[in-house]
Amino acid sequence: MSSNRSTLLLADDDPTIADSLAPFLERAGFHVLVVSDGMSALEKAQAHHPELIILDVLMPRMDGRETLRRLRKAKIWTPTILLTQVGEASERALALEEGADDYLNKPFDPHELLARIRAVLRRARPGERSLSAAWLLTASDLALDRRARRATLSGKTVELTPKALAVLEYLMTHPDEAVTRERLLEAVWGWEYPAGTRTVDTRMAELRRALNDDPAEARFIETIPGEGYRFIAPVHGEG
Amino acid sequence: MLKRSWVNLLLVFLPLLAGVVEFVLINIWAQALPPFMVTADFGVFAFVFGMTIRNLGIVALLMGLFITGLLLIYYNRAIRRQEQTQLQVEEAKRDAEQGRRRFLRRLDHEIKNPLTGLRAALVNMQEVHTNADRQRAVENAGYAVERLTRLLTDLRKLSDLGERPIELWQVDVPDLLQDVVDAAHVLPAYEGREVNLLIPKIPSPFPMITGDRDLLVLAIYNLVENALKFTCETDSVEIRLLEDGRAILIEVADSGNGIPAEDVSKIFEELYRGSNARSTEGSGLGLALVHRIIALHGGRIDVRSSQEEPRGTVFTIRLPVTKKGFALRPSN
Repeated sequence: MSSNRSTLLLADDDPTIADSLAPFLERAGFHVLVVSDGMSALEKAQAHHPELIILDVLMPRMDGRETLRRLRKAKIWTPTILLTQVGEASERALALEEGADDYLNKPFDPHELLARIRAVLRRARPGERSLSAAWLLTASDLALDRRARRATLSGKTVELTPKALAVLEYLMTHPDEAVTRERLLEAVWGWEYPAGTRTVDTRMAELRRALNDDPAEARFIETIPGEGYRFIAPVHGEG
Repeated sequence: MLKRSWVNLLLVFLPLLAGVVEFVLINIWAQALPPFMVTADFGVFAFVFGMTIRNLGIVALLMGLFITGLLLIYYNRAIRRQEQTQLQVEEAKRDAEQGRRRFLRRLDHEIKNPLTGLRAALVNMQEVHTNADRQRAVENAGYAVERLTRLLTDLRKLSDLGERPIELWQVDVPDLLQDVVDAAHVLPAYEGREVNLLIPKIPSPFPMITGDRDLLVLAIYNLVENALKFTCETDSVEIRLLEDGRAILIEVADSGNGIPAEDVSKIFEELYRGSNARSTEGSGLGLALVHRIIALHGGRIDVRSSQEEPRGTVFTIRLPVTKKGFALRPSN
């Protein structure tokens, strides 16, 4: 084991998943610690200080959500990805509320998990609370109060549909990251569907209109041709 | 004189006697038939009332009997209605139970096939010797996984639709239909074909509807995808938009082979596959999703299809237009 390999803690009670994902992630250059319940994940996280934690939600002894809550309560801000099994919107919202940095719905492609891990590690600030755990996000004169579900631009409320607000929330918690339309669909709508990518574009147009953001000279959201979107303004989190 | 005193006695005591008999009957039936107690009490009251006004004697008695009779008729009707409701509830329960069993049977079938393919592919991966054969096994495994994923995704959509509130915003339907046609261009079945979109110029602007645009796109896209999938290049596919002041009508029509008559009434059932759809790709949940989405919008969807000339299938969606002055607020 070379010392510059990042250590990941993988907690999943299903041995077929853990046994297949661990070697896959090892091949991708990580050192992987595997546990099968939330309590062990909590102990290992405190003892080994991994760079990133991957938590399944449904686990014996302590579920992933409770594990994450306890980690954050202990001021352990290690970036965390939640693997959710239930695709309900409420679960996705909860994943963010409890300070998960990202989440993936099962079943997922292991390459997608790898992409998520790399993206989360790239934007991680060691020892600091991540944007995903902040209730108030600000970027220049744009502010997003996640608890009140309200966005303001120069102090004035921006009229947005709930979906457009959720898109803005996802982009602001993943700044400077190329976010594909498929990823937005999965994260905000909960499921991908064939006509969905166009749906994302429609919401994005609504969002840009509301934010008065010209795509040609974007202040907030930039289009990456053939790929997706990127939130380009620096984002600060509070609370 | 004697005769008259007997009549008086009868007039005084008969209502009382009838009331006593009725009380006895109520006491016997009360526990089994509680509503009867209430209705019969009115009758008893009428008898007692008649008894207290001696001058009215026979009139009060007849009134009492009349009211009791009316109440008995009402009571009988109420009982019949109650029995009917009970029967309907039981029938609905039976239907739901049957539906659940049917759904599980179909789900079993839908999972069994790709799983068998997956197991066969895994065996092949272990046993074949050439790289080409191994590659084919990997591709087959990938295909089976894709099928299972599609099924699971659609199941999740169905369950999500039942649980989360839909957004209620004004939707510009012509714009939505144009988006559906544009999105359908990526479908392999679209290649070399055209979907005719017929949008009336009058009224202008076209009446708005209230709903969740994304879900409506998903529903109409599913219909267009089906129309393209089940027809060939020489067939036509059309989307037509109409309105009648109160509702808008969206029709997705094709000139394909049509749906067999025995399948038409079942195509909106979850995981139902018509005899001409068994070999076609899909989760078997597409039309069930469409049905659910339209119902969530307070609309309805109907289908008419013919396998004889002029053959083809037309799905008609009816959605209520937004009332004037409707406040734009999301449902949640």
